[in-house]
Amino acid sequence: METVVAEDLTKTFYDESRGEVCAVENMSFACRAGEVLGLLGSNGAGKTTTLRMLATILRPSSGTARIMGHDLIRDPEAVRRSLGFYSTSTALYPRLTARETLEFFARVNRYPAARIEERVSELVGRFGIAEFQDARVEKLSSGMRQRVSIARTVAHDPPVLVFDEPTVGLDVIAALEMQEVIRTLSEERKTIIFSTHIMSEAEKLCDTIAIIHRGHLLASGTLEHHRRCTGKHYLEDVFVHYVRGGG
Amino acid sequence: MPSFVLATLYRSELRMLLRDTRTIVIAVVAPLVLFPVLILVMRWVEQRQVTRVERTVYRYAVTGSHEDFAYYKVQGVINRETFDPDTTRAPAAFLHDRSPNPDSLIRAGAIHLVIEGLGADEYRRVRTRELQEEAGSDSVELAVIADLPDVPVIRLHYRADQDVSRAAFERMRERLEELRRSHRDSVYRAHGLVVGIEDMGEIGSENIASTERESGALLGLMLTPLLLVLMLTGGSIVAVDAISGEKERGTLETLLTTAARRAEIVNAKQLAVATVGVAVTLVNLANLLAYVVLGLIELPDSFTVSLAPASLVVLLMLFLPVTVLVSSSLLLLSGRSKSYKEYQLYFPFLLLIFLALAAAAALPGMDLRSAIALVPVVGVGVAVREVMVGELDWPFLMVAFASTGIAAWGAAWLTERTLSTERLISGAELDRADLVGGPALFPRRVLRWFGVLWAILLVTSLWSGPSLGLREQVLFNIVGVLFVGSLLMVRSYRLDPRAAFALRGPPPVAWATVLIGAPAALVTGIGLAELFRRFVPVPDEVIRSFAQFLAAGDLPVWQIALFLAVIPGVFEELVFRGVLVHGLIRRLRPVPLALTAGVVFGFFHLSLWRIVPTAYLGVLLTAVVLLTGSVYPAMLWHALYNALGILPVRMGWVSQDFDLPLWSYPLGVAALGVAFLVLWNARRPYPGLLASPGRLRAS
Amino acid sequence: MASLPGAPSSFRLSSASRSTVFLLYLRELRSALRERSIVVNSILLPVFLYPLLLWVMVTGATLAEGMAEGTRSRVVVRGVPEAHVEMLDSLRAAPDVEVIVPLGAVEEAEDMLARGDVDLVVDFGIASAREAAMPDNFSVRLSYDRSVERSRRARARATAAVTRYRDRWLGRQARELDIAQAELEGFRIVSNSVSTERQLGTLLLSELLPLFLVIMVALGCFVPAIDTTAGERERSTWETTLTLAASRTDIVVAKYLFVATLGLTAGVLNVVGVFAAIGPVTAPITGSSAAEFEYSLPALAFPVVLLGTVSLSLFFAAAMMILAAFARTFKEGQGMVTPIYWLALLPLLLGQGSEATLTPVVAAIPVGNVAMMLRDAVRGVFQWPLILETLSVQVVAVVCCLLVARSVLRFEDFLIGAYDGSFWRFLKKRLITGAPRSVH
Repeated sequence: METVVAEDLTKTFYDESRGEVCAVENMSFACRAGEVLGLLGSNGAGKTTTLRMLATILRPSSGTARIMGHDLIRDPEAVRRSLGFYSTSTALYPRLTARETLEFFARVNRYPAARIEERVSELVGRFGIAEFQDARVEKLSSGMRQRVSIARTVAHDPPVLVFDEPTVGLDVIAALEMQEVIRTLSEERKTIIFSTHIMSEAEKLCDTIAIIHRGHLLASGTLEHHRRCTGKHYLEDVFVHYVRGGG
Repeated sequence: MPSFVLATLYRSELRMLLRDTRTIVIAVVAPLVLFPVLILVMRWVEQRQVTRVERTVYRYAVTGSHEDFAYYKVQGVINRETFDPDTTRAPAAFLHDRSPNPDSLIRAGAIHLVIEGLGADEYRRVRTRELQEEAGSDSVELAVIADLPDVPVIRLHYRADQDVSRAAFERMRERLEELRRSHRDSVYRAHGLVVGIEDMGEIGSENIASTERESGALLGLMLTPLLLVLMLTGGSIVAVDAISGEKERGTLETLLTTAARRAEIVNAKQLAVATVGVAVTLVNLANLLAYVVLGLIELPDSFTVSLAPASLVVLLMLFLPVTVLVSSSLLLLSGRSKSYKEYQLYFPFLLLIFLALAAAAALPGMDLRSAIALVPVVGVGVAVREVMVGELDWPFLMVAFASTGIAAWGAAWLTERTLSTERLISGAELDRADLVGGPALFPRRVLRWFGVLWAILLVTSLWSGPSLGLREQVLFNIVGVLFVGSLLMVRSYRLDPRAAFALRGPPPVAWATVLIGAPAALVTGIGLAELFRRFVPVPDEVIRSFAQFLAAGDLPVWQIALFLAVIPGVFEELVFRGVLVHGLIRRLRPVPLALTAGVVFGFFHLSLWRIVPTAYLGVLLTAVVLLTGSVYPAMLWHALYNALGILPVRMGWVSQDFDLPLWSYPLGVAALGVAFLVLWNARRPYPGLLASPGRLRAS
Repeated sequence: MASLPGAPSSFRLSSASRSTVFLLYLRELRSALRERSIVVNSILLPVFLYPLLLWVMVTGATLAEGMAEGTRSRVVVRGVPEAHVEMLDSLRAAPDVEVIVPLGAVEEAEDMLARGDVDLVVDFGIASAREAAMPDNFSVRLSYDRSVERSRRARARATAAVTRYRDRWLGRQARELDIAQAELEGFRIVSNSVSTERQLGTLLLSELLPLFLVIMVALGCFVPAIDTTAGERERSTWETTLTLAASRTDIVVAKYLFVATLGLTAGVLNVVGVFAAIGPVTAPITGSSAAEFEYSLPALAFPVVLLGTVSLSLFFAAAMMILAAFARTFKEGQGMVTPIYWLALLPLLLGQGSEATLTPVVAAIPVGNVAMMLRDAVRGVFQWPLILETLSVQVVAVVCCLLVARSVLRFEDFLIGAYDGSFWRFLKKRLITGAPRSVH
C-alpha cells in the first residue's frame, strides 16, 4: 500500500524584485511502508520546500499529496498526525526538560492520553535519554539534543517520517548514529523520506533515490535503476549526468 | 479532543515562562520594588522644595511716589500675617530691604519683591508707555487703563521664573486683596448699609454629586489607560516569546509540524498572553492598593469608591473584549516580527496606539450615546467612565462591547493567518533586493522617505506658522520639500524617471472622465468632510482661519489658480501618485495600495480635520492612476478639484457659508460611479500591478 | 609571566593599535547603521519623537477644543425675582448657554440634573435673615454635578455671566448710596513680572534639556551596547572577532568608542530636536506663535553641554557594556542592562522643578550631577569648581567601569560565554568562591 503519494506538487514564491519564482514544479512520487526515499539535490534545488509542503508548513501553489490517505490541503491536521518532521531548523524548547519535551509533543500530536506515560518511558529508554531526562534542554550538549530531537519526532509513533538534511553539521559518529536510527525505523515498516546532498548517505540508506534539480524531479528509482539508465557506476556520476541534462 | 491539545499548549507556555526567572524578576518584581523608591524620592524632593520656599525670608523693597502709602499697606499685611488666626500654614516672614536701586536687586535675585506705590495718573502713563513699547500693542488694555478710577496703585514686581519670588508675590497679593475687601466693607457700612458686601448678591454653588460619584468619575478617567498599560506590558512578557521568540529559536517550525491546529496554537498562546497580562495587572493593582493603604500614595480628600455589584460585573464584562484585543494585538505583533529584537522595536508603537485610544476616551465631551461607541477601545473607555458614575446605558454598552469584541476577533484572525503566511514563518529567504540594491531596494525604503518628508513639513509648518504667505508656503512645501525629496529618491535609487513618475500616455477617454469625476469627487468629498465633522467637531476658528488663508484676498485670481490648483495638481501628483505609488506597486495589491497611498497623502495635510477628505481624494486619484497607468489625468483631476473648491468662493459666485443641497450628494456618488465605470472599461493598468481578486490586469 | 596573546595589559595604545582600533570602530559603525533597531533607537527616535509628539498634542488640543465648543450648556433658572430679570439676559448673552426658565417642581430639576438632562440649576433666593435686611438683595445658588465635565463647564460659564451681573448691580447700589467709585476702590493692586519671556523660555529649556538628554543618551547607548556584545555572541561572530589579529584591548576599545559615539549622536540629535520643537510645543500654552518662543543660552553653555553629553555617553557606554558583555543573547543582554537604565533615571528627579543648583554633594552623584550641571549651564550659572568636580566624578566613574571591564576580560571562561549570561553568577563564582584565574 502506498503511504505517501505526491501529485504535481508546485510551489511559487513572490519576490518583490524578481516577481514570481518557481521553487518546485510538478513534483510527483510515491512511497510504500518500510521504504526509504532519498531526495538528492544540491543546495537550493527545492528539497526543503518539497518536504515542508509534505509537512504542511507550506501550502502548495498547485498539486497535492496524500499521506496515509489524508489530503495535504483538505486535512492538514490528520496529515501532521501521521507524520514526524525532523530538520536542523526544528529546534526544541530550551526551558522544557527532555522528558517534558517528549510528553509535550506526544500530547500535542494527539497520542492517546492513557498511553503517553508508557510511550515516553519507552522513548527515553530507546534513545538513551534516561541519564539526562530531567535536565532542561538548554543545558544539554548538541549530541544529547539530537537524540531528544529524534525522540520527539517519533513521539507519537507516526507511520511516515520526514528528515530534512538530518546529518548536516553532525560529526562522523553522530551522523552514523542518525543513519542507524533511520535504518531501524525503516525496519519497523515506517515510510521515511529524507533529503540530502551527500551521495554516500543516499547510496547507503535509500531504497529509492529521487534526483532533484532547480525545482524539477529529474529521475527516480533504485540505485540499480539509475546505474542502468545512465551507464555510470557511482551515484556522484549518475547525479552529474542528470544535472548536466543527460538521460 | 481539541481542548486537550489546547490545554497542553497553554500549560507548557506558562511553564516555560515561569522557568524564565530573569524575565520575571526584571519585568514583574523589579518594577514592584522600584515603584515605591521612585515615589519616596519624588516626595522627598518635593517636600524639601516646599520647606525651602516656605522657610525663606521674603525680602522686599518699597519704592515709588506713593512709597509711604504702599509701606503703610505692607505693614497691614505683615500684621495680618503675624496675627492670622488660620494656623494651617506657617506665617510668612517678610524683611524690608532698604538698599538703593531695588530694580537691579530684584533682577539680580538679591530681593524677591519690589512694591511700588504710584498715583493713578502716573500708573496710567507708565503702563501706557510700556504697552506701546511692546510689539503688537493691546488696544483693549489701553482703553481699560484710560478708564481706571483715580485711586493709588500698588504695583508688585516679582520674577515669575523664580519660585521664592513667586511665592512672596502670591502671599503679598492675597493679603493685599484681603485688606482691600475689608476696606470696601467699611465704606459700605459707613454709608449706612446694614449688609456686608459679601452678603450682597451672594453667589454660591452647590455640588450635588456624591463623593462616590465624584471618585468614580475620577477613577473612571484613569482606569482604562492604567489597565491597558499594565495589561500590555504584562502580556508582552509572554507575547515576545510566543511567536517571534519561537521563530528566532526555530521552535516554531517544530510546533507547526505537529498535529495541533493553527487555531489551537494561536488560542493557547493568546490565553497565555491574557493570563499573564491579567496576572501582572492584578499584582500591580494589589501593589498600588498596598501603597495607598500604607499612605505612600495620597488620594484626593474624601475619595470613596462604592460600586454596585451590577456595575462591577458590567466593568469586568467590558474589560473582557479589551483583554482579548490586547492579547491578540500583542500576538499579532509577535507574529509579524521576525525576531525578539524586532518585536521590541515595534512594541512601543503598539503601546502608543492603545494609549492614544484610551486617552481619546478621556477627552472632555465624550458621550457614549454617539458614534464613539463604535470605535474599539475608545467606546469601552467612555463606557467605563459612565459605569463608574453609576450610569448603565445598556444598548450602547452592548455596542461598545461588540465593537471592541469584533476588533479583538479580527486581530486574532489576522494572527492565525500570519502563522500560515510563509514569508513570515521562515524568514525572507528569497530576498534578492539586498543583493541588487538600487531600484530593487526602493519599495522597502519608500515609506521611510515619506516619513522624513512628513517630519520636515510638520516642523517647518509649525515654525513658520502663518508668517509665510500663501505663495511662499506652496512653493516651499510642495516644490521645495516634496518634489525635491522625490527627485532625490529617483536619483539615489537610480530609478527610471518616466516609470517613477508614471509619465505615460493614458487612454484618451480618461481625459473626458476627469470632467465628470473631479466635480463629483469634490461634492462627495465635502459630504464626507461634513459627516466626519459630526463625529469629530472642529473649532470654528480653525476652519475660518484656513478659509481666510485660502481666500488670500490680495492675490490676483490667476495667481490663486496657479498656486492652489496648478502647482499642487502637477507636483503633488508627481510625488504621491508618481513616486509613492511606484514604490508601493510591488508590495501591495491594488485596494490596499490605493488606501495606503491615500492615507499617506491625507497625513501630509497635517490637521486632523483635513486628513479624511484629502485621504479620500488621495484614494480616488491613486485609483485613477492605477486604472490609466498614467499620472496626467490625475494631475488634471487634482487641479480641477482644487480650482472648483476655491475659485467660486473667491470670485464671489457663492458665499463663504454656502452649503450644498442634500440632493447633490447622491448625484455626486452616481457621477463618480459613472466616471470610474468608464475608466474601468477603458483601463490601461499600471505596469507591474499585483493580481487582485478584482483581476485588474489587462486581459 | 605567561600571558595569552592579546590579553589586555594596559589601556595605553600604540600608534599601530590606534589604526586597528579605528578600523574596528568603523566596521562597528557601518554594521550598526545597517541594523534597524540601532538606527531607530539612536537616530530616528530622537529626530522623529518630537515632531510626532507635537503633532499628537496639536491634534488633541484641536479635537478637545472642537468638542467643548460643540456642547451647549443647558441651564435651568428658577425663582428669578422681578427686580433681577435682567440677569436672565446676562445669562442668555453668554455663549453656548441655553436657558430653560422654570418648569415643574423643584425636585424635578434636581432629578434632571442628576440624570444629566440639564447641566446646571440656578436658584434665586435669600439665604439668611442678615441678607434679607437689605431690600432687593439676592443670593444665587448654582447646583451642579462636579463629576460631570459638562456640568462643570456649565457652572463656569454661568458663574461668569452671573458675576458680571452682580458687578453691575453692586455699582448701581453704590451710586444710589452716593459712594464714589474711587472711595469704594481704595487702592488698586497690579502685578508685573520683571522676568522676560526669554527668561521663562530659558527656564523651561533648562528643565527639559537635561531630562531628555540623559534619557536619550542612555537609550542611544542601550541597543548598540547589547548588540556589539551579546548580539555578537548570538550571531556567533564573537569568536570571529576574537581571532582577529588585534589585541583584545583594541577590540574592546573600538567597541566602547562605537557605543559611546552612538550615545553621543543620539544626545546631539536630541538637543537639536528639542530646540526645533520647543517653540511649537509651548506655543499653544503661551498663546503665541512658535517663532515667538524665546530663550537665551550663554555662550559658555555650549561647551558645558557638549562636555556633559560626552561624559554621559562615555559613562553609559561603559556601564551598559560591562553588563551586556555577560549575556549570551540579545534578550538576556536587555534584561541585564534595563536596571542600569532605570537607575540612571533616578538621580534625574533630584532637582526637578526647583532653583536648586549644583552643590558639592550633588556633584558627587554620577549622572545626576551632569543633569544638574546642564540645568545650571542653560540658566547661566557656572560654578567652575563644582563643574570641575562633576566632570572629575564622571571621569572617575568611567575609569572605574573600564577597570572592571579590564579585569573581567582576563577571565577566559567569560570570553567563551560561561556564567549563564549572568553578572551575578560571575561575581559569585569568581570573587566570592575565589576560583583560580585562568590567566596568571
